[in-house]
Amino acid sequence: MSNLPISRKCLMWLGALALGLLVVFGLEPSVALAAAEHAADSTAHTFTSKVAGDGGAGKGAAFAFWSFALCAVGGSLFVITRRNMVTAVMGMVGTFFAIAGLYLMLYASFLAVMQVLVYAGAIMVLFVFVIMILNRPVDEPWAVQGILGKAIAALGVLYLFKRLAGILWQVKDTHALVLAKDKLDVEVVLNHSDPELLKDLGVLSIRGLKHADVCKSLFAVCRDNTLNHTVADTVKNAYEFGSVEGVGYTLFSKYLFPFEAVSIVLLVAVVGAIAIARPDKNEPEGEAAKEAS
Amino acid sequence: MSIFYDLTLSHFLVLAATLFAIGITGVLLRRNAIIVMMSIELMLNAANITVLAFSRGFAGQDNNAAYQGQAFALIVIAIAAAEAAVGLAIVVTVFRTRRHSDIDRLTMLKD
Repeated sequence: MSNLPISRKCLMWLGALALGLLVVFGLEPSVALAAAEHAADSTAHTFTSKVAGDGGAGKGAAFAFWSFALCAVGGSLFVITRRNMVTAVMGMVGTFFAIAGLYLMLYASFLAVMQVLVYAGAIMVLFVFVIMILNRPVDEPWAVQGILGKAIAALGVLYLFKRLAGILWQVKDTHALVLAKDKLDVEVVLNHSDPELLKDLGVLSIRGLKHADVCKSLFAVCRDNTLNHTVADTVKNAYEFGSVEGVGYTLFSKYLFPFEAVSIVLLVAVVGAIAIARPDKNEPEGEAAKEAS
Repeated sequence: MSIFYDLTLSHFLVLAATLFAIGITGVLLRRNAIIVMMSIELMLNAANITVLAFSRGFAGQDNNAAYQGQAFALIVIAIAAAEAAVGLAIVVTVFRTRRHSDIDRLTMLKD
């Protein structure tokens, strides 16, 4: 390592630092979440707290922001400076995880999950596949070799299993949970929606009904186009900002057309990608060549 | 150090601008087509951070505008996935016919 140029050494340390921060937040997400919650609950509101405002001191949120920012910038510098493409992809994955953390800080939890699933999962795997198919790596990516590497890997796998087992152990009777949640939902709808509006819509009598009936009547009203947005918004505002419910109501009421259009775009993209990357018929290779001869 | 502790909208915007600048640098300086595509993904992500930061800024005053931002960001992610699929297919095809993916040497349409 001593013969490496100085810029490369700096980048290595930066990457290691970013990786370390990722590991810290990855190992104990509860710590980071608790810090963010503490910042959000403090009387003076910061930008990342639940109510937008100015001023205030949220040291936990600030620490999380700066570490995520460091990871994102360091990882993206890795992408554009590395000669080894697999290293570049790994930097990209780190960047995407850090960006997902930033989304969480901006109360876009659904987007954060999508970021990890789509970007760090699907798209990056696609990139790695293409790199593995096309390019021979310039030099081997740095990795811990030998018994030490195996020990570290074993520790990581053990920790993963421990966490999975812990999560599975905590699962309670789901049916009871669902029932309790239904009760809560009815309470939320009754307490937070505009009573005047509900009266106008003729669903004032929902107080005596079961949750399913409330839903049915609400959705029956929702189907009426003229009232679509008001009712959806009324129900939506009952939820906390940034919840999946809110995004879902927006996507499936106001933005239903773009949402469906995206599905067509994805279908066309998949068909187009297959059509472009398919081997040329004029260029005999593999099975086609054998059949032709 | 109030600039360190008090997170504002500007922090997220400056970070997004930094990531966008790094992505544009990668697009302009690197010659490998795959690295260029990764830099483009980086720029899309920077734009997404901006959208979500403004969405957060609207929360509380106008929740509809806030959720619009999140819906928009989700659509950007889907389009980025489609773009990656088609772009990588093109890279594979170019590599299959030319045995390289150096964008400086792909000048057939220009000449």
